[in-house]
Amino acid sequence: MSREIKFILNGNPICIAIEEHWTLLYLLREKLGLTGTKEGCGRGECGACTVLVDGLAINSCLYFAVETDGKNILTIEGLAAEDGSLHPLQKSFIENGGIQCGFCTPGMILSAKALLDENPRPTETDIKQALAGNLCRCTGYVQIIESIEAVVDKRIEDINVVVRETGDSD
Amino acid sequence: MEEFTVIGKRISKVDAVDKATGRALYIQDFKLPGMLYGRILYSKYPHARIIKVDTEKAKALPGVVTILTGEDIPPIRLGVYKDNPPLKSGKVRSCRDEVAAVAALDPEIAKEAIDLIEVTYEALPAIFDPEEALKPEAPLVHEDHKTNVLKMPWNLHYGDVEAARLEAAFNVQERFTTTWVTHCCMGTSGAIADVDNSNNLTVYTNTQIPSLAQKDFQETLKALGVKDRRVRVIKPSIGGGFGSKLDTYAYEHLAILLAWHARRPVKILFEREEEFLATSPRQPTVTYISMGCDREGKLLYRDMSMVLDNGAYTSWGATTPSVMMMPITSLYRVPNVRYTAKCVYTNNTYCQAMRGYGNPQATFAIESAIDMLAEAADIDRVEFRRINSNRPGDVTPQGLRITSCGLPECIDAVSKNLDFGQPREKGIGTGLASLIHVGGGARIYKSDGCGTMIKMDDYGKVDVFTGASDMGQGADTVIAQIVAEELGVKVEDIHVFHQDTDICPWDVGAHASRTTFVAGNSALGAARKIRLRLLAMASKATGVSEDKLVLKDRAFFAEGSPILPLPKLLRSSHFTPKGQMMMADNFYDPENENMGRDFRGNMSATYSFGTHGVRVKVDEATGKVEILDYIAAHDVGRAINPMLLDGQVHGGVLMGVGYALTEQVILENGRNMNPDFRDYKLLTAMDAIHSKPIVIETVDEKGPFGAKGIGEPGCVPTAPAIANAIYDAVGVRIRDLPITPEKVLAAIKKKKGAVSCGIDVFTQKEQPCE
Amino acid sequence: MKKFKYLISKTLDEAVSLYQSHGDSAMYVAGGTDVMVKIKSGKVTPDYLISLTHVGRNSEIRINPETGTLHVGGLVTHRTLEMSPLIKLQYPIIHDAVQRIGSTQVRNVATIGGNLVNAVPSADGAIPLIALDAYVNIYGSAGEHSVDLIHFFEGPGQTVLMNGEILTEIVVPKQPPRTGGAYQKFGRRAAMELPLIGVGVLITLEEDSNRCVRARIALGVAAPTPIRTLGAERYLVGKEINEDTLNEAGKLAAEESRVRDSIRGLAWYRREMVAVSVQRMGLTCLQRINQLKAK
Repeated sequence: MSREIKFILNGNPICIAIEEHWTLLYLLREKLGLTGTKEGCGRGECGACTVLVDGLAINSCLYFAVETDGKNILTIEGLAAEDGSLHPLQKSFIENGGIQCGFCTPGMILSAKALLDENPRPTETDIKQALAGNLCRCTGYVQIIESIEAVVDKRIEDINVVVRETGDSD
Repeated sequence: MEEFTVIGKRISKVDAVDKATGRALYIQDFKLPGMLYGRILYSKYPHARIIKVDTEKAKALPGVVTILTGEDIPPIRLGVYKDNPPLKSGKVRSCRDEVAAVAALDPEIAKEAIDLIEVTYEALPAIFDPEEALKPEAPLVHEDHKTNVLKMPWNLHYGDVEAARLEAAFNVQERFTTTWVTHCCMGTSGAIADVDNSNNLTVYTNTQIPSLAQKDFQETLKALGVKDRRVRVIKPSIGGGFGSKLDTYAYEHLAILLAWHARRPVKILFEREEEFLATSPRQPTVTYISMGCDREGKLLYRDMSMVLDNGAYTSWGATTPSVMMMPITSLYRVPNVRYTAKCVYTNNTYCQAMRGYGNPQATFAIESAIDMLAEAADIDRVEFRRINSNRPGDVTPQGLRITSCGLPECIDAVSKNLDFGQPREKGIGTGLASLIHVGGGARIYKSDGCGTMIKMDDYGKVDVFTGASDMGQGADTVIAQIVAEELGVKVEDIHVFHQDTDICPWDVGAHASRTTFVAGNSALGAARKIRLRLLAMASKATGVSEDKLVLKDRAFFAEGSPILPLPKLLRSSHFTPKGQMMMADNFYDPENENMGRDFRGNMSATYSFGTHGVRVKVDEATGKVEILDYIAAHDVGRAINPMLLDGQVHGGVLMGVGYALTEQVILENGRNMNPDFRDYKLLTAMDAIHSKPIVIETVDEKGPFGAKGIGEPGCVPTAPAIANAIYDAVGVRIRDLPITPEKVLAAIKKKKGAVSCGIDVFTQKEQPCE
Repeated sequence: MKKFKYLISKTLDEAVSLYQSHGDSAMYVAGGTDVMVKIKSGKVTPDYLISLTHVGRNSEIRINPETGTLHVGGLVTHRTLEMSPLIKLQYPIIHDAVQRIGSTQVRNVATIGGNLVNAVPSADGAIPLIALDAYVNIYGSAGEHSVDLIHFFEGPGQTVLMNGEILTEIVVPKQPPRTGGAYQKFGRRAAMELPLIGVGVLITLEEDSNRCVRARIALGVAAPTPIRTLGAERYLVGKEINEDTLNEAGKLAAEESRVRDSIRGLAWYRREMVAVSVQRMGLTCLQRINQLKAK
């Protein structure tokens, strides 16, 4: 059965007819050509298909496409700025060895984004917990965790710079 | 100390931006016009006669284009022993046997068609235990083979083990076992085959061996009656390798066969469950080891025998004893060595190479037994290892010539940190284990070579065409660094092509931790040829003698000042009469040796060493093991890229921890009981271990800039290090991987005097505590 | 994968009537993380999925100011429970469980109602709620009724829900002072686990001593449905709560459990872990009660 849905995809409004049994992953990869979102298991056990729905990390392989109606979806393709400059998390994964085979990377980065949006200063345990649903076989997770910590540290540093420059203190 | 501009730097992977933005294309992401979707029907039984395959209903399903059964295909035999047809006829020998294949308009139709194929089987008695399979009354897996034992006589004896045994002051004799674990590549297997109207074949596939795969696919074309056509292998970004892609699999050949029949491109992509069921895990082993030393702790002999569960067919898993021989004969100095291994057919899944290639299984037995022997001799376990450590200049009984060797330094680095600055507490213990691995290629085939072509354009941009394969480990980045260093350009000036056999030269494959060493040397040689020409030209252009010119930062320097930009020189090279192109090629084949009939031979041009140390806490009430600290020291020759090197070690260590503690493919009567990530216990980020890598640089004389291989070593000594730490913590020795909480708790109970731990579900018998 | 129609109901009544018009070919769905897996694997083959996500109620956590009871809507996601300061502070036993269910991705979508209705023996969500004496409100064509959660489960995948009834709400009675609870999921990995055994312990102490006036010990995976080990509970009542009495209670609970062997774990080991976890969770209860006192 087909149905029309409207949602925001990576900042752009979109209106598309879908079949009701489609998953969001299927819609993204097969119908919209956004293959950056990966399918690693198809049953919510690996996190490769992670995208953000209204800011929350979800497994798109288990998410009903119809439920995206009216929502805001972010995939890895929408993370960089419009001018192509990379998101700090993308940069950090690149510079800190957070990427090897890269298959888990889009999901990892989006899980990390959801975490930092909710909790700008996560502990190592917070980070590990947020990534627990994103499996990786290459890295042992160490450099992935370090990549996220580097973004957090950089932000704190930037805030401190601002505080110093404006002379604020508390 | 040499000054490098690129070597030794933490440089980002050259493909990382594409991977971080979702642009990198994997086999999952490829679609060709007119492409069909293939799917495979697997056997219902571990061992059965195929009475009838009825495809009528499936054929009638709209959208089905081609159906093949074992009767429809020409004779094709896959694997190192050529015992595995891509579709079985007559009988099936394991639950992953391919019985039929379908190509249809979409994956759903293909799936439905598979369900409509009716196969009538007659079940046969099956054999699942390799030691049982040795018995004369055991059912034969391959009748025409006459025996379940593979005709691969892994058998060596150097020195005189029995004489040494009589001489030894202390001895240990033990049995160790390991089970199946699997690669768990995050990207599942897949291939697309496309046959054009002239019968040229293109295969897009996840492979670590593009050049050898090309040959395998050529064979399949030949079986179809097509000769002298082109076979092109295109390798997309690969979602993890770890040895899983060292052979061609039935699904790749089925894609070819289906495409041939349908005259349309056919894609077969595994679902995760299929990935667990139909790819080949690490070889399980039963190992008997005895080892002895004199009063001073010097090893006198090592005597090992193994039975390997080969499964129903033969891939590289069966040849892992060739690599096990290396630690068995050459990890520590041991003058008298004996080793025999039998690979045995069973009705289980067949096995394949996996990171370490037999070395983790062998090292688990050796390093556990080393601790036991040290205890028997009442010598400190670290000291015991120092006494017996390999040293530069050694020639081992197998004829391995140890050149650069940082094992003593690795043992020192770990022992210094083994208590991790923590006081001794109840239930907490430490352990260590070392490794030797090939670090300068491994001559498995007649050639261990790799080709490189380099082309430099007018602007100093460089295209490198390498035979090497990247599966995520960073082969392309390391090659780019080597070429950039040699040609005085930046890494971003370099594009490494490794994805296409039409473009890239030959290579034997991404195995044996050989890529940095072999492909690196190959690239270095090609770059050097160009460098020499550039220097000659620059000297001519500037009047400065070649030995006074330095090529770096995209320019020629004399006495510290830039005098000629590289692009300017390049442009002049073909805008002048008798101009020349800046292109070079190089084939590098290391000076290593094939094994002789007695298995002697210096199989690698150099060897990597390492020692791991671990501190664990054992919960004596639950048997759970928690890793508190981990240190991994590796002699890598030289770190070309410390960041990627750390990544190999961290990844290897966690894979090793999974091998030690949680991972197992559970086969019950040949059936995979845990084909998903819920029950296959791949470790998660919550389980991550912040291991501390220590890099020992011995600067190998043969290695590119001194580098040796490091792809596999990270997961080799992990399990014995952990087993040794558990023993140190609570005094129980676990000889069977994985070391589950059940095994630890049962052993603790037994130590305290308990006899039974309950009823075993499979045997319905009282389960002894061990 | 089986194709289905996805029907969005805006009210409970609409959902129930949709269900009745489609009968056996319909299934309710909320977050869908379990239903999708079952459909993909062919374990269920509904023609219609009736989404409850948009019924506009049952998605909040609140305390009834008059009775002090905790009300958790059936559509509350595990993540909402996990992040709720109310749950974390006042019902840590629930927090223990929900923060370890699946991954963040699953918890963001999967609901507590769905977890209960699924009725898998390992349902982490159920055990702490049973320990808390929770009951569930059920809505159907015949109106609303309540069932104690411990009586809600009838077997693996089986509940008392009949004929299109919907679990709307979980109600947890106000807990007496000096009550502490703790849940342990015993697994092999630190995350993404189904428990080998799940143990929830809830203890209420006398006002000025460590004497137990009420005890609840609920177990997951110890039987085809979640169970309470009544003998162990009775043993504790009237006793001083300490390592020894908890050890004894653990042994009794282990004897009462009906664990079995599976590829996930052997029965003897599960039984042992019941004993160990009951004792450990009991001690955590004690700790938590004392922390409350300190505050």
